[in-house]
Amino acid sequence: MRENNSIQYRRFYRTMPIPSMVVLLMLFFVPLFFTLSSAFITEEGFSFSRIISVFSDPYTQRIMGFTLLQATLSTLASLAVALPGAYLIATYSFKGKRMILALSTIPFVIPSILVVLGFVIFFGNNGFLNRALMALFQLEEPPLKILYSFPAIILAHTFYNFPIIMNLVSSYWEHMDENCEAASWTLGANKVRTFFSITLPRLIPAIVSSASLVFLFCFNSFAIILVLGGGPQFTTMEVEIYRQARMMGNPAAASALSLFSILITSLLLLWYNATQKKLGQSETYSTSHRKAEKRPATLVGSVLAFLYTIISFLFILGPIVSVVVRSFMAAPSRSAQEVFSLKWYRQLLSLEHATGHMGSALGALTNSLLIALAVAVLTVPLALTLSLAIRRKKHTNSFLELAGMLPMTVSSVIIGLGYYLIASRLRGGLALSYTLVVLAHLVIAIPFVLRTILPEYRKIPLTYMHSSLTLGAGPFRTFLSIELPLLKGAMFTGAIFAFALSMGEFNATLTLANSSIITLPVVMYRLIGSYNFQGACALGTILIAVSVLVFIVSEFARGGTYGR
Amino acid sequence: MKKHQFVCVLVAILSLFIPLTAQGVQEQQELVVYAYDSFTGDWGPGPVLAEQFEEETGIKVNLVSSGDGMEMMNKLISEANNPWADVVVGISDDMASKIYKAGLLEPYKSEALSEIPSFLHFDPTYQLLPFDYGNFAFVVDTEAMDSDMVPTSLASLTDPIYRDKVILIDPRTSSVGLGLLLWTIEVFGEEGYLSWWEIMKDQALTITDGWSSAYGLFTEGEAPLVLSYTTSPVYHVTYEDTTRYQVALFEEGHSTTIEGVGLLASSNKKDEARQFIDFILTKGQLTIAIANSMYPVNSKTELPDAFNYAPKPEKNLSMDSETLAKNLDRWLTEWTQVMSK
Repeated sequence: MRENNSIQYRRFYRTMPIPSMVVLLMLFFVPLFFTLSSAFITEEGFSFSRIISVFSDPYTQRIMGFTLLQATLSTLASLAVALPGAYLIATYSFKGKRMILALSTIPFVIPSILVVLGFVIFFGNNGFLNRALMALFQLEEPPLKILYSFPAIILAHTFYNFPIIMNLVSSYWEHMDENCEAASWTLGANKVRTFFSITLPRLIPAIVSSASLVFLFCFNSFAIILVLGGGPQFTTMEVEIYRQARMMGNPAAASALSLFSILITSLLLLWYNATQKKLGQSETYSTSHRKAEKRPATLVGSVLAFLYTIISFLFILGPIVSVVVRSFMAAPSRSAQEVFSLKWYRQLLSLEHATGHMGSALGALTNSLLIALAVAVLTVPLALTLSLAIRRKKHTNSFLELAGMLPMTVSSVIIGLGYYLIASRLRGGLALSYTLVVLAHLVIAIPFVLRTILPEYRKIPLTYMHSSLTLGAGPFRTFLSIELPLLKGAMFTGAIFAFALSMGEFNATLTLANSSIITLPVVMYRLIGSYNFQGACALGTILIAVSVLVFIVSEFARGGTYGR
Repeated sequence: MKKHQFVCVLVAILSLFIPLTAQGVQEQQELVVYAYDSFTGDWGPGPVLAEQFEEETGIKVNLVSSGDGMEMMNKLISEANNPWADVVVGISDDMASKIYKAGLLEPYKSEALSEIPSFLHFDPTYQLLPFDYGNFAFVVDTEAMDSDMVPTSLASLTDPIYRDKVILIDPRTSSVGLGLLLWTIEVFGEEGYLSWWEIMKDQALTITDGWSSAYGLFTEGEAPLVLSYTTSPVYHVTYEDTTRYQVALFEEGHSTTIEGVGLLASSNKKDEARQFIDFILTKGQLTIAIANSMYPVNSKTELPDAFNYAPKPEKNLSMDSETLAKNLDRWLTEWTQVMSK
């Protein structure tokens, strides 16, 4: 009898994730199959000729070189900005420290199209920063000519990514015990020497791990390069894939290019996984924070801490605040001065007649909300049933877990390309097009939602479920009355994440959408393209509101402990 | 219990799509017109034309922004299996060979053609009908650049004093960008044009994908020179009453372009589409002339005074369509190679 039951249970836990697995693999592999087949299949059947001709083109090689170069430089720049911050946070306690740490989650919650917009408005020749400096120093010409150049790309990537490194390294640093350093001091080494021969080598795993993550993000960066780059000189793989597929009518070449991108991304993910494992092994975490309660000992120290706080505040919040401010301004004619106005919000809500891209803003907003809602509602059950099965596995990194993370190996532009290739073979109306958008967003969102739900699932001791089973409830009833209630919070957080991710999703949507599909970020991009910055800012402010919501929810989720 | 929940969720999800589908149904009754971004944009003629046309005929027009000219054409070609557009506005003579080859357009000999001088009939097959024309030129922001600084030839733009002061446009995606590429070939010849571009690669502030972004950057004050048309000042004089933006006339002449409108062979609203084309070639001409800042093709259109601010170049440059069709792909490839170095 008991034997029989446990077989039944096992069957339940095995069958539960099957639908999600099927959906996930279909949604991931079918588009990928279309992409690969369009790369390899020419009129003469299967052939490497297209791959060879694309990769032997010096233009392609230069793009690959540039992509790697900009990712390397962006990572180094992010490290240079982040490490001093990590040091300050790990070593001292000072005012604003909590705020800096909180700000460091921003890159995870704001969409890249918003970063670009904020950047242009804040750092442009005619932007807030330059205007302020010109007024302050009575200058004729804008002093900071950063935009539309190679440095602009690096700067934007740094802005977007340095908080990731700062956050990861400082939290590792804080938990590192101080005994080795103490021994070094006792043996007569001074502070500098101790840092370079003891502390830094111990930090290397954390630095390498976070830097490789940032490298991956910069390698796959799309919106920032699309807007801030310009011309063939500053083009990366992702932008070229989009351009070939959608602007130059050559999806086959785009598919061939995406092979390179997939290869690099997969290698980077494997490498990142390895560094993560090493990170887990290399240090015995001390449970208590190290010294962080100290205030900066010297005046120089406190001044530096203060300056770093102010500058990173300005750096991170400046562009975002500018977006909100500019959305409330409008010029009566193309070359007149801007004044305070609710014009863009009235146009957005169709209270005022709007033409061009602003005319489609309300439609874009409702579309985005509906798509995001659908994505949130669909993603959570998929991730939940996957977690249910993964929780029962003894090993981490089981096949299921890896499968759930699979979509991360492919950049969102390439996912979009796959769906675009599918769409171009199907005859169907708008409903089909929008369904494809939802599916693409779903694939992109699943890994993130899984990462939200799974850790919480792992916190629930298996004994809870065992007791329930022992008391006679079946596995399904156990799932409903034990697991679901305990996971409510995580599911909610996951749903919010999926919602926000979909609201801000730009890369895949732009790549797959035909001109009839409009979502909030796509309209924002078109508004930026036609230099209606204020209109773009009004839409951007809505995205900021969504991001703030996610920010609050994630902060709340991090603080809360439950399940005991 | 499970079934019940499942059904509820399913219904909830499906119901989400009802508005999206409904939107699709509604849009299927409209005449779908693809046009380049600046035509449909906030400052372009498209929105006004669509309104006037609807008032007159009761036919609703859905204007779709489709990027700049080259991008729009490639989009049309890549959508050949799943066509959506009924009419396409803004394919220029410079790039037309590719759309003829794709065979997507249906010839239409509009009656309005009799009012259009024959030198503008660039397509003898009438797949594309001319609706406006102009000369490419660099436009100067006179508040940011003194009059003695204004460049006088393409060659003078390579002077270091114009470093980061010029905004160019990508010929692979934009009809205006393509116009400049051809202009440089007309002026410097096949031997010389690439060396001009090689210098301009570092001279230019940026190379945008389309005219809209370039001109937007320019009016935002990011640079004092932009690639556009000799007729661009007309817009600023008419709507903003300012002569701040002026044309730099070049001694070697200015390349010309004629923009065409075409009827998609795949359209199932051909009558409405033809009406729209007729409208653009007749009553719509004045709006196009001003808001698009180009010369109207219809000889009956009376040019407003603002066109006095559009200087006439002494020399018009153009290229015969055969040379163009034969070499365009090669030129674009060569350009890409040089500009990515």
